[in-house]
Amino acid sequence: MAASTAMRIYPFMPGGAAGSTKLISDAVVLSDLTGRPRFGLKGGGSAAWLAAQGVTLPAVNRIGDHRGMRVLRLGNEDILLLAEDAGETLAEVKAAWQAATAPKGYSSWREEGWAWMRLSGPGLAEAMSALCALDLRPQKFGADDIAQTRVGHIEAVTFRSPAGFDILFDVTASAYFARAVAAVAGHTGKHRG
Amino acid sequence: MNRLLAPFGSRIDRSQPIRFTFEGKPFKGYEGDSIASALAASGQWVLSRSFKYHRPRGILSMTGTDANALVQLPFEPNAAAERTPISEGLRVSAQNVNGSLERDRDAIMDRFGRFLPVGFYYRTFMGPRRDSWLKFWEPVIRRKAGLGVVDTKAPHRHFDKTHLHCDVLVVGAGPAGLSAAIAAAEASVDVVLCDENPEIGGALSYGRYDPAILSGLLARLESLPNLKGLTGTVCNGWYEDNWLPLIEGNRLHRTRAREVILATGAIEQPAVFRNNDLPGIMLGGAAQRLIRHYGVRPGQSAVVLAANDDGYRTALDLLDAGVSVVELIDPRPAGEAGPLEAELRGKGVAIRKGATIEAAEGTAGNRHLARVRIGGSWIACDLLTVSIGQAPAWQLPCQAGGKVGYDAAAGAMTITLPQGPVHLAGAVAGSDDLEDAIASGRRAAAAALARLGHAVADDPQVTAKTIRPRYVQPIVADPKGRDFVDFDEDLQVKDLQNATKDGYREIELVKRFTTVGMGPSQGRHSALATARIVAEATGRTVGEIGITTARPPVGPETLGVLAGHHEALERRTAPHARHIALNAAMKPVGAWWRPYYYGDASSADESVRQEILAVREGVGLLDVSTLGKLEIRGPDAGEFLDRLYTMAHANQPVGRVRYCLMLNEMGSVVDDGVAYRMAEDEFYVTATTGAVARVYADMLFWNAEWRLKVDVLNLTGAFSGLNVTGPKARLVLEALESDIDFSRDAFPYLSGREGMVAGVPVRVMRIGFTGELSYELHCPSSLAPTLWDAVMAAGRPHGLRPYGLEASRILRLEKGHILIGQDTDAITTPDELGFGWAVSKKKPFFIGKRSIEMRARLGLTRKLVGLQFPAGARNIPGESCLVLRGGAPVGQITSVGYSPSLGHHIALAYVHVDDQAEGSRVTVKCRNGELVEVPVVAHAFFDPTNARQEI
Repeated sequence: MAASTAMRIYPFMPGGAAGSTKLISDAVVLSDLTGRPRFGLKGGGSAAWLAAQGVTLPAVNRIGDHRGMRVLRLGNEDILLLAEDAGETLAEVKAAWQAATAPKGYSSWREEGWAWMRLSGPGLAEAMSALCALDLRPQKFGADDIAQTRVGHIEAVTFRSPAGFDILFDVTASAYFARAVAAVAGHTGKHRG
Repeated sequence: MNRLLAPFGSRIDRSQPIRFTFEGKPFKGYEGDSIASALAASGQWVLSRSFKYHRPRGILSMTGTDANALVQLPFEPNAAAERTPISEGLRVSAQNVNGSLERDRDAIMDRFGRFLPVGFYYRTFMGPRRDSWLKFWEPVIRRKAGLGVVDTKAPHRHFDKTHLHCDVLVVGAGPAGLSAAIAAAEASVDVVLCDENPEIGGALSYGRYDPAILSGLLARLESLPNLKGLTGTVCNGWYEDNWLPLIEGNRLHRTRAREVILATGAIEQPAVFRNNDLPGIMLGGAAQRLIRHYGVRPGQSAVVLAANDDGYRTALDLLDAGVSVVELIDPRPAGEAGPLEAELRGKGVAIRKGATIEAAEGTAGNRHLARVRIGGSWIACDLLTVSIGQAPAWQLPCQAGGKVGYDAAAGAMTITLPQGPVHLAGAVAGSDDLEDAIASGRRAAAAALARLGHAVADDPQVTAKTIRPRYVQPIVADPKGRDFVDFDEDLQVKDLQNATKDGYREIELVKRFTTVGMGPSQGRHSALATARIVAEATGRTVGEIGITTARPPVGPETLGVLAGHHEALERRTAPHARHIALNAAMKPVGAWWRPYYYGDASSADESVRQEILAVREGVGLLDVSTLGKLEIRGPDAGEFLDRLYTMAHANQPVGRVRYCLMLNEMGSVVDDGVAYRMAEDEFYVTATTGAVARVYADMLFWNAEWRLKVDVLNLTGAFSGLNVTGPKARLVLEALESDIDFSRDAFPYLSGREGMVAGVPVRVMRIGFTGELSYELHCPSSLAPTLWDAVMAAGRPHGLRPYGLEASRILRLEKGHILIGQDTDAITTPDELGFGWAVSKKKPFFIGKRSIEMRARLGLTRKLVGLQFPAGARNIPGESCLVLRGGAPVGQITSVGYSPSLGHHIALAYVHVDDQAEGSRVTVKCRNGELVEVPVVAHAFFDPTNARQEI
């Protein structure tokens, strides 16, 4: 598919599907990174092509680093590059991939299919415990670990970021997810009432 | 007032008075008081009436585990008065009374006890007819036997669930649990210590112990940041792999612990004698809790029944609280006097050994204890404390695989756990001494730490004090009865004895016949006595009798805690805000929200009609983004689809779109969609909105099974779909800036193209559900609002109208297009749908192939056909109305609606296979029972030659 010149509208932007939903910013802070650059490859040939570009691939469910991008290995042939602050590097990789001939894997369209949100704030640990059943204690779940699990009752990929936890999930559930996080944050300390 | 001065009353704040009512009368208490303690402070000892005989009942244990102290709150039945805190203005009433607590009309039942023998229910309510129990007796008894009343209009409360992970969970924060938690936390593992009480300390908080012990332990606890204390938190069960629900108020902590230490303590047991249930007779621990926790004097003039040190300590506590101790009765034979005995004697308390309480008598109406009989003579008193023994709190250990036994030499119940990640500490493990309990906690922590891989220094082997034999009360039925074994169910000694005489010798049968242990206390105060009675009556040992199975939950839990809080899942398509701006009536379709029609509710029918008209005569726009979208990529993509779907896809040319039909392994239709071959190794496949999750999962399953060179990607959220349909659809698309040639010849029906439309990369397919000229534009979701805007703008000169789900439903019905799941059911075959054309006869295999061939040999019994109701028909059957043949049902209506294009109602229905021919007339039973005759027509009601979609 050719590159687009048209305006992109993500759920929490004005005119987006969740545009009227407020993101909680209190003891728990939910921020939206859905519009940030990322690119994923999936299917046969993906890992080999990325490796040929000099990307060092981590083990499955681990995070690596390549020129300022986070390299998420979601499966043997399922790799996602997150470029929160390395958009140009990502654009280079993407352009190289588009120009390359097969085998080179296939786009996983994660930049379209998944919302990318970040949970942080002083109430982070309590909120995350309510949202996710996994043992996310620091000694059990490190900075380069990936959990493919459920967060807020929907399928999600979660991992640590310096500020808190990043969560990738079905973009169509963005408004729901913001509400679910707000509900969890609202319950903090209310349970004895 | 029965209030004591500080330091008694550790839980109450005397500066915060609280007013509440009980049975309509005003009472006063303090912040921190429980309902029972505040009432006791004001001299209100009767809290409830008993289940069967409606006898007055009051505080027994102060632990909140028995039926005696269950009360009704405005929005909550069966609240434990001994544990529920008072709050300003709280209205509390008694349960299980007919009239009022004070004047219970059913108190007369107490005189008719002999007409209510054990097993009365089973014997009496069997007849006279087979259904008498269900139709007559059960409703009557349910009205009489109520515990609390549920208020279905109670306001909503906030409940939530969270998850808790730790290395060691310690249940019970008494001396053993506390020392276990500290020892484990000192080894730097994550420890959670939970206790149902509002404070840490257990018996140390109310028993007669040196306060320095507790404060020393608390100081160590506070210095350990990796030790999390959860007070007011009930551990309500043990499940496989150390999964435990911890209930903290309205919050459920779903807890996973690597090691669990159960320090659940022991349950004091009542003594059995005539009228042992009178208010004023309580367990020693209850008196100590009243004094130390709440600063409440439990009586004025007490007799103390003490068969252990705790009883002697209780007597000393009573003296400290200003209660006059008339006499201490120790049923054990006279022996060497211990220091406690000496101290009591020093304070002038008379101690009688080798005697016991033979009976008690109450004040008028048995409202309070008046006197007890010892050695044949009556002694006046208003308080009798009972400390004759205890049973380990076996509920959690038994759920974790523990076996209950009985040490006849020690006279004690024992629990043994298999080697594993669950450990016992303290009284539940048999320690009956403070130092033993603390040491036992340390040992349990060491065992848990060793299993966690920590090198544990050998605990200097503490020689456990020789366990002194416990006192075992001989239980003899009182000739006049009212010697209660089970307070919840009003069961007396003779009831249990009679059950064994009736042949119910096994404890589980005794339980079912007598209901012993079935009440709110779940046998906490009756199981040991019951086992002893049954053992005695059947000539076996207590160990052979045992106790009944303990299952979760340990105590009552509200449904709200189990439910927690759930936000309703909601999925929105990318153009969601566009629909809202166009005043769409949004409706949920599964988790999705979709426009039902555009316009005001007042003109809904007209809006739908206009939307249909726009599609038939002009052009319409439908958001089809909820459709399942899948990409199948890889060298074997065609082969993969060939195996999954009924049509041929391996030979499908690039740029062509093919219908695809999916069967399950029994040959039933489970999904349909289209497959667009974008490249040799790449297909874009749609699935129905409701089925895509299942289809995707199945694809992953088969992909793993077949090991073809294929990757499956679910693009349902990543891509959005807009269907531009109607005779003027081509005009609209040609008005948009695009590199795609939308002309009929360049872009024929059932083909697909990739390109740019209005600056948006699109995948366009010439397919449609409406039967009109139709282009389905799919694009990355972030660009869908922009594409929507472009199409709307280009369509304006052509009268383009967005249309909703209802118009779409009618449009497809006019064409006889089926909806999987609505027009199909669990056994629908392609033949029943007339879809033989969609099933490849050449392919050697596809899922369901063998089954449909076998089912075809059985012959077709029904067929999906169109039904056309005459214009102006009065009675139109609804969906699921039966199609009858010779009075017997042979099928049903699956879809029905009014077609504005045709001017009458049309339906799809399964009819008998012999009625499938056009012109046959079938009988349909309407909702009101009327039978109507309807003619069968061809599937496509509108444009039967399908000319319009191919223009």
